[in-house]
Amino acid sequence: MLTGLMALTTGSVWMMCRPSMLAAYHYNQYVIALTHLFVLGWICSIVMGAMYQLVPVALETKLYSEKLARWQFALHFVGFIGMVWMFRTWNLKQVGHFGSLLTVGVGLFVFNIARTLRRVPKWNVTATAVTAALCWISLTILAGLSIATGKCAAESFDGSEANVGVVIGALRPLAGLVSRFDPISAMHMHAHLGGIGFFTMLIVGVSYKLIPMFTLSEVQSQRRAGLSVALLNIGLAGSFVTILLSSPWKLAFSLVTISALFIYSWELCAILRARKRRPLDWGVRYFLTAVALLIPLSLAAIALSWPGLQANPFLGQLENLYGFVGLLGVVTLAIIGMLYKIIPFLVWFGVYSKHIGRAQVPALADMYSPRLQMIGYWSFLVALIVISAGILRESEIVVRIGALGFFACIALLLANFGKILVHTAHPRITPRVVVRPLKPILA
Amino acid sequence: MNPPAPLDGQIVLDAMRQVIDPEIGCNVVDLGLIYGITNTGTKVTVQMTLTTPGCPMSESIAQGAHWALLGIAGVEDAVVELVWEPPWQPSMMTEIGRAAVGMR
Repeated sequence: MLTGLMALTTGSVWMMCRPSMLAAYHYNQYVIALTHLFVLGWICSIVMGAMYQLVPVALETKLYSEKLARWQFALHFVGFIGMVWMFRTWNLKQVGHFGSLLTVGVGLFVFNIARTLRRVPKWNVTATAVTAALCWISLTILAGLSIATGKCAAESFDGSEANVGVVIGALRPLAGLVSRFDPISAMHMHAHLGGIGFFTMLIVGVSYKLIPMFTLSEVQSQRRAGLSVALLNIGLAGSFVTILLSSPWKLAFSLVTISALFIYSWELCAILRARKRRPLDWGVRYFLTAVALLIPLSLAAIALSWPGLQANPFLGQLENLYGFVGLLGVVTLAIIGMLYKIIPFLVWFGVYSKHIGRAQVPALADMYSPRLQMIGYWSFLVALIVISAGILRESEIVVRIGALGFFACIALLLANFGKILVHTAHPRITPRVVVRPLKPILA
Repeated sequence: MNPPAPLDGQIVLDAMRQVIDPEIGCNVVDLGLIYGITNTGTKVTVQMTLTTPGCPMSESIAQGAHWALLGIAGVEDAVVELVWEPPWQPSMMTEIGRAAVGMR
């Protein structure tokens, strides 16, 4: 989690220092490096770390191996930092090497969670969504590695058979396959596999367990919940092919995905209407705002997948906006909301769980400042709007102002998480109230 | 020697009020999570539930209840049984519990 927060902070400083990345078209080395910093460093570090904690909790089982998780973290850490650095200097050969390390790590992650899923006592929609997410993350990583390897192998091959090394020679068929597709379409396909297949799938699946838990409610229609996950898979499978082939059928599968998200939102509303805990805390509000941002994102998806669309600068910026709102709007807000639940829980569990019943211990909500949470929430939304306006207007100064606000939100977030971590060094334990002396009832 | 007299149920409930559900910030008694108490004076058995099956706090809360019971003068043995039937309902809460979840 600390790795993720460090990557988020680094990324927000980078956006502030180089706003041209967002104010100009996205197919350049800096945007690709920044995107991988946010996706792998921030989102994947947090999501994978949280999954090791949450999947056993949500599915009432135990993690298969903590040792494998530690190995994955090491491979992920080295892999993503190397990849981001090498994307920045546009050294695709090294991207391939660091990407391979990361891939081994993802392999361990998928194996570990898959074995954990085999222990699930009662299969449900959350388990189905997590399983699907594991399949899509595998495909995402393989697609990304294939794109980088194919491109690298193609560049390394100078045309004379005599100069072809063993490795490059072996990768030639892959290079040939990758070169048959439009590179931008392949990149968009790779992004959608990860963004929808892994992140959105997990948001949908895990929230069917966590939102009822946090609001004292329950899933109102298992059929609706199952349908949303099924349609999300169908929509993404279709989008995978149609985006890669630049097919006009893209729109049809975008609509399938949007209908999945509509059904998900419908079920989420039903869960919230039935909740027994009336006030929504800021953690849940962050999460629900992320879900609400799926509406403008869906509209942008319809516009961008419209058949026969001719490339122009505005569409290029709309693609930038789509990616930005998807990653730093929807996924980031959802993660922050869940972190406000997970981090207090982990610290509470480590510091206070052994004292409960023997001393007075704080509740989770007493461990951080709701005021900082609220200020962070509103300033995050303002920063998101300002950066979005800067992207659409291709204005570096507006993006920079928005990025400054975004950085301030991250600082507030870190300050609040710091307040939670202080409990590990200075626990707030007060002696319990003495129970009055025994007064036996005389028969 | 006569066997010890059973405890006043109120003493047991007062002890259990020391145990909070940290997510909600309210004690387990006012949340209506205590289903039954049986005691012989030196041994207390409490049947309780949680607001959500699979709650990640379940072990901590059950262990906390165990410590709270052992904190009662004269109690030598305490057993906490987590049960899921009947499922917890908001109607089981006291006024204090209802206020804690914003239902007042």
